[in-house]
Amino acid sequence: METNESTGQKGFQTVGETKVENPRMTCRDVNVYYGDKHAIKHVGIDIGRNQVIAMIGPSGCGKSTFIRCLNRMNDTIPRCRVTGEILLDDTNIYDRDIDVVPLRAQVGMVFQKPNPFPKSIYDNVAYGPRIHGLAQNKAELDEYVETSLKRAGLWEEVKDRLDHSGTSLSGGQQQRLCIARTIAVSPEVILMDEPCSALDPIATAKIEGLIDELRTHYTIVIVTHSMQQAARVSQRTAYFHMGDLVEVGITDKVFTNPRHKLTEDYITGRFG
Amino acid sequence: MNNSEYKQKALDKSSSGRTIEMVNKSLSRRYKAERRFRRYGQVAIIISLGFLCLLFISIISKGYPAFYQTFIQIDVFLDPDVLPKDKLSTANYPGLIKKSLSSEFPEVELRREKKQLYGMVSIGAYYQIRKMVMKNRDMIGTTQTVWVPVDDDIDMLAKGHIDRNTPELERRVKDIQLAWFDRWDKAGKIKKRFNTTFFTSGDSREPEMSGIWGAMAGSLYVLVVTLLLSFPIGVAAAVYLEEFASKSRWVDLIEVNINNLAAVPSIVFGLLGLAIFINFFGLPRSAPLVGGLVLTLMTLPIIIIASRAALQSVPPSIRQAALGVGASKMQTVFHHVFPLALPGILTGTIIGISRALGETAPLLMIGMVAFIVDVPGSFTDPSTVLPVQIYLWADSPERAFVERTSAAILVLLALLIATNFLAVLLRNRFERRW
Amino acid sequence: MIRIIVVLAAAFTTFTFWTCTQSESRNYVSIVGSSTVYPFAAVVAEQFGRTTRFRTPILESTGSGGGIKLFCSGVGLEHPDIANASRRIKKSEVDRCRENGVNEIIEVKIGYDGIVLASSRKNPPMSISRKDIFLALAKEIPDLSGAEKLIANPHKTWKDVNSSLPDTKIEVLGPPPTSGTRDAFVELAMEGGAKTFSWIKDLKKKDKSRYKAICHTIREDGAFIEAGENDNLIIQKLEANPDAVGIFGFSFLEQNTDKIQGSSVDGFEPNFGSIAKGDYPVSRPLFMYVKKSHVGVIPGIKNYIEEFTSDKAWGEDGYLADKGMIPMPKEEREKYYNDARYLVPIEIK
Ligand SMILES: Nc1ncnc2c1ncn2[C@@H]1O[C@H](COP(=O)(O)OP(=O)(O)O)[C@@H](O)[C@H]1O
Ligand SMILES: [Mg+2]
Repeated sequence: METNESTGQKGFQTVGETKVENPRMTCRDVNVYYGDKHAIKHVGIDIGRNQVIAMIGPSGCGKSTFIRCLNRMNDTIPRCRVTGEILLDDTNIYDRDIDVVPLRAQVGMVFQKPNPFPKSIYDNVAYGPRIHGLAQNKAELDEYVETSLKRAGLWEEVKDRLDHSGTSLSGGQQQRLCIARTIAVSPEVILMDEPCSALDPIATAKIEGLIDELRTHYTIVIVTHSMQQAARVSQRTAYFHMGDLVEVGITDKVFTNPRHKLTEDYITGRFG
Repeated sequence: MNNSEYKQKALDKSSSGRTIEMVNKSLSRRYKAERRFRRYGQVAIIISLGFLCLLFISIISKGYPAFYQTFIQIDVFLDPDVLPKDKLSTANYPGLIKKSLSSEFPEVELRREKKQLYGMVSIGAYYQIRKMVMKNRDMIGTTQTVWVPVDDDIDMLAKGHIDRNTPELERRVKDIQLAWFDRWDKAGKIKKRFNTTFFTSGDSREPEMSGIWGAMAGSLYVLVVTLLLSFPIGVAAAVYLEEFASKSRWVDLIEVNINNLAAVPSIVFGLLGLAIFINFFGLPRSAPLVGGLVLTLMTLPIIIIASRAALQSVPPSIRQAALGVGASKMQTVFHHVFPLALPGILTGTIIGISRALGETAPLLMIGMVAFIVDVPGSFTDPSTVLPVQIYLWADSPERAFVERTSAAILVLLALLIATNFLAVLLRNRFERRW
Repeated sequence: MIRIIVVLAAAFTTFTFWTCTQSESRNYVSIVGSSTVYPFAAVVAEQFGRTTRFRTPILESTGSGGGIKLFCSGVGLEHPDIANASRRIKKSEVDRCRENGVNEIIEVKIGYDGIVLASSRKNPPMSISRKDIFLALAKEIPDLSGAEKLIANPHKTWKDVNSSLPDTKIEVLGPPPTSGTRDAFVELAMEGGAKTFSWIKDLKKKDKSRYKAICHTIREDGAFIEAGENDNLIIQKLEANPDAVGIFGFSFLEQNTDKIQGSSVDGFEPNFGSIAKGDYPVSRPLFMYVKKSHVGVIPGIKNYIEEFTSDKAWGEDGYLADKGMIPMPKEEREKYYNDARYLVPIEIK
């Protein structure tokens, strides 16, 4: 446990169980740099199947940066560089010959601020299946839209106004629309970056319930700044601190019995 | 310790009381300042509106009479001797009209007076009779009653621009012509009609025969070329620079250059056009094609800058959303970013095109500031454009061109308003909120 | 939408370049040159276009110098056929023409133009001499004591210049230096006035550039106001200010005799007769230069010249006179008519 945070040199030992049986994704020695800034330092972690894993940590510690590595959204940021390897079902998504387009269909993403397209609700959900050519005809597309909206728990609320603009919905509905849009392309993994931070408690509760249901079909990585939320929805929790992955473990254990001093400080509210 | 805590509390209390007091005291001053500022704003708007009104009133009141032209009714005997069937196109049509005028005023015998009499009718009348006869040969041998346009001086007289009280020597319309005019007028043979010539013909040295259609057609051809080239090229350049090009020193350099180009005086583009398109590529002088190319060079930077600004203003969350479901860069740009930026791009394009519509300086170099009578029929026919026509008329000595200048300005303004209106329509059509 | 626009633009570009390669010949006469000659040439061109089977010539107002430069830039369709000028072509310009292969140029004098000093009709007409003009408008004038040196122009009113002139402020509205009218005015009126001082006249041989500077530099202290190229504007200003004097071409006086009157210069009033006879001193000849090698290649050049040189156009009662051009005397007309007819090129040594 020789911490050397300031230099970020290899040597920080993550405590807890970074490995799981039969993982969906495996990260090994992942580093992210924004120009000279070393934002993620030698992170290794497994993401288990049909599980929710929560990423917590003080703001600026690199949670978003890390989660963006998982579907290569960092590629779109100029001067951002990623090293190490991230396997999705045994293929390294950072391999040279990997195409990000199918990757992002497999690893979908929901963002902090609801960002529906300024198009109809229907078109929002149908967009993914359309560009990937998933549906053969209109009926199939309708099917996609309906199941996705149902899974996202939005169907009952919008089924009579699918032609209304996605932006006309309330914040919570918009976020569920974004989730529907993501699951419409049947991803294996869904990344959620603080999906509830812009929502009120009732909408948050709805989304949390939804995440729990989605777990049966998908693997979910969720970033949250609320420890209660992490405790409620996740099976495993990872604690980040200034680019280092400090501790990983079963959620209950991490919250009741943190093994690392930094984790303890954070969850007892002495820090962050 | 206790004591100081107490003191601290007292201070808090009194200071919060004082704050309210001070806020209240400054309140009226602040409101006053706000009211004053509003009034300044209103005054500024009233002043600018006033100038705008003044401009419009002066142009409309000056230009409006040009939409009417004075006509005179004459009886022309279509003499078969003067109109041999095989030489209709070159027959002596002026002779027919002169004869008709002479027979109306048989007392006019002096050569000088005859000239003055014949001069009351526009030479446009000759072409009118010629056209009529060529169209309907059966008329030959009959006497036809026709309304023909009067000369520009007589037109000015009819419109009240000539003061009858000035001494004859100093008047463009002589006493004897005044008498003839009054006689015709009394007989109901003088009439003002809508000036269709003005909207259907090209330039002329005779004000009563001149029209803006030639210049307008030229402007339209030029605009089509400019729009078809500058819009796709400009938008493609902007999309590439904004969305695809990786930020490098080259891109910065290009950006600086584009911004500089937008500030280059337009005549420079004319010189460039002369050197490249005419001298190097050998395209014809005075052609709308070349004019359009030159104006394309001029509008490109404007469109690129406006388009880039529009693309930049699309929120990044939209891009992320599209990329997040697996859209490619290209799909992201063309399915989401571009449609959202389109209103801004269109606004920029319209600004660029409107500027191009009002440009004369670069066209001077490529020979479009010219006297051109024939209405252009293709992109390579010699032609001029509306602002050039205005400039040429404003510089003409004949009094009747003064009102035509204003009328042409009105037409140009109408065209500009129409393009802007179109822009607003398009913008509303594409506008979406996010 | 994008695709449609791109396809349209591509199709259009190929189409236009195709048409350009197709349109190898030019079937209209291209004329450039002096803005003074422009209104006259335009009437002829229009008349010609309307009454013959040829297309109406295209006429560009480029100024005499600019026109001749274009004219001399070479032989071929892209170069103009005719250049109008409000002065005779210069030796240097002919040389330039030769360099570019334009060897044979036909010179046709077409008439005269007068430059008038006019003022509002509200005041009685002025009668001034060229000397008065020089003393009123030059930047520097000879010392009042008669010594052979220059002083900054002290004159404020016309009476200061010449006691027989009215006691009004000197306020002259004239064209800017880019204008041909200004060139002619400076050369004919100012230089003419300056030459009345013998020592300045002698300078011409000794120190030409100094001579030019004295004769051609107009004062910049507000007495002379550059009123822009638009002569109509000058007329409006004269109406508003009866004490001001304007400088412009005779045709503008002709068209506005109800508002303004011309001042007589050296005792001669500006009118058709005095200018044609050469009595009115501030007048200049107008020319047309034709590229001989284009005659017969571009349809209509010969016919256009014929129209121009016909009596119904440039004659005493012709339509050009109506437009304000001052016709040449009959003999002169005949000479140039023949030169034009037989395409006699000029010899300038
Ligand atoms: N686009 C970027 N460019 C440069 N630095 C960035 C960028 N995004 C994030 N960072 C930096 O990386 C670190 C981690 O940021 P982030 O992953 O957003 O933190 P979190 O999501 O945990 O709050 C921060 O110090 C932040 O300043
Ligand atoms: Mg974050």
